[in-house]
Amino acid sequence: MDRAEVMDRVVKILTPWVKDEAALAKVSMETNILEDLKVNSARLVDVVIAFEDDFDIEIADEDVDKVNTVGDAVNLIAGKL
Amino acid sequence: MGQDVASNEAPLSGPEVGPEAVIRSAERSDPDMVRGHARQRLVSMIAGPIWVGASVLVMRFWFRYRIADVRRVRATYRRIRAESKGPLLVCANHLTMVDSFLIAWALGSGFYWLTHPDELPWNTPERTNFGRTRFQRLLIFIAKCIPITRGGAREDVGDVLERVKYLVARGETACIFPEAGRSRTGRVEETAAAWGVGRIVGAVPGCRVLCVYQRGRRQATWGDWPEPGDTVDVSLACIEPKSDVRGVRRSRDLAQQIVRQLMRMEEEYCDARK
Repeated sequence: MDRAEVMDRVVKILTPWVKDEAALAKVSMETNILEDLKVNSARLVDVVIAFEDDFDIEIADEDVDKVNTVGDAVNLIAGKL
Repeated sequence: MGQDVASNEAPLSGPEVGPEAVIRSAERSDPDMVRGHARQRLVSMIAGPIWVGASVLVMRFWFRYRIADVRRVRATYRRIRAESKGPLLVCANHLTMVDSFLIAWALGSGFYWLTHPDELPWNTPERTNFGRTRFQRLLIFIAKCIPITRGGAREDVGDVLERVKYLVARGETACIFPEAGRSRTGRVEETAAAWGVGRIVGAVPGCRVLCVYQRGRRQATWGDWPEPGDTVDVSLACIEPKSDVRGVRRSRDLAQQIVRQLMRMEEEYCDARK
């Protein structure tokens, strides 16, 4: 699976938690998940679990500390596929 | 209002490593954090007679708060403490900005905290509420606080969690609000469970959780502080959350167990007040 495909799936998974639809419309690898998309930080865990389920991977707590942008999430997931 | 005490005496389930491994790992990976923690601990301890004394005086005589059946609450806390020398994390419902002070005051007298300084819980206040001015930052440094920016950069949040893991493993105590912020509904909500608390509990082998449900009798919903003159009811329950799943899912599972315990305590509180 290439990164563009991972990116598409990541954005699709993120969509239900996004509070800023306008930011979602122009999402890029640099888009910050919490600050730009306004995903509730307490719900980030649900997003990560959705990543685990969708991509059939396991993500450690410490890995999540490195995820600030959509690109960080894509790179983390791509590295585990 | 009495204190409902439930103690889940689950035996330690044979962790492969003890809390010492968490301490050693922190000492190896982040010696600056370890030194910084030792420095703040020492300053807080030395300044304890001033800030602990002042906090108690303000709560008692300025705000005129009262903890219902305080002797029983403190005796229960001391019994729970005596049951095990293992790591203990305090987790409470969150309604006002002075909850941490009220909880500490409920669990022990000023004199108790001066003679048991490492049991006095560290706190993780929201930086935007408590760390705005230099004076505020000095105060929270002295008063055993590790400010956190909720929703901030994940690495910064991770650093705070690492420090709390370290100090809890050392046998010190921290007070964490599993709902992350003050409950906007005035009730404990399972959906509000932040996973950071589960991450701490999951990382420190044998970590028990002292669940504290506290509420002023005139506290209808969340606010900055309880009404002056209010009486605060406090109940305690000690649990040892366990989970068979792994990774982030495990942290969420552990956090949810704590929040569900707080929800049960809230139900008991509401039933008793009917």
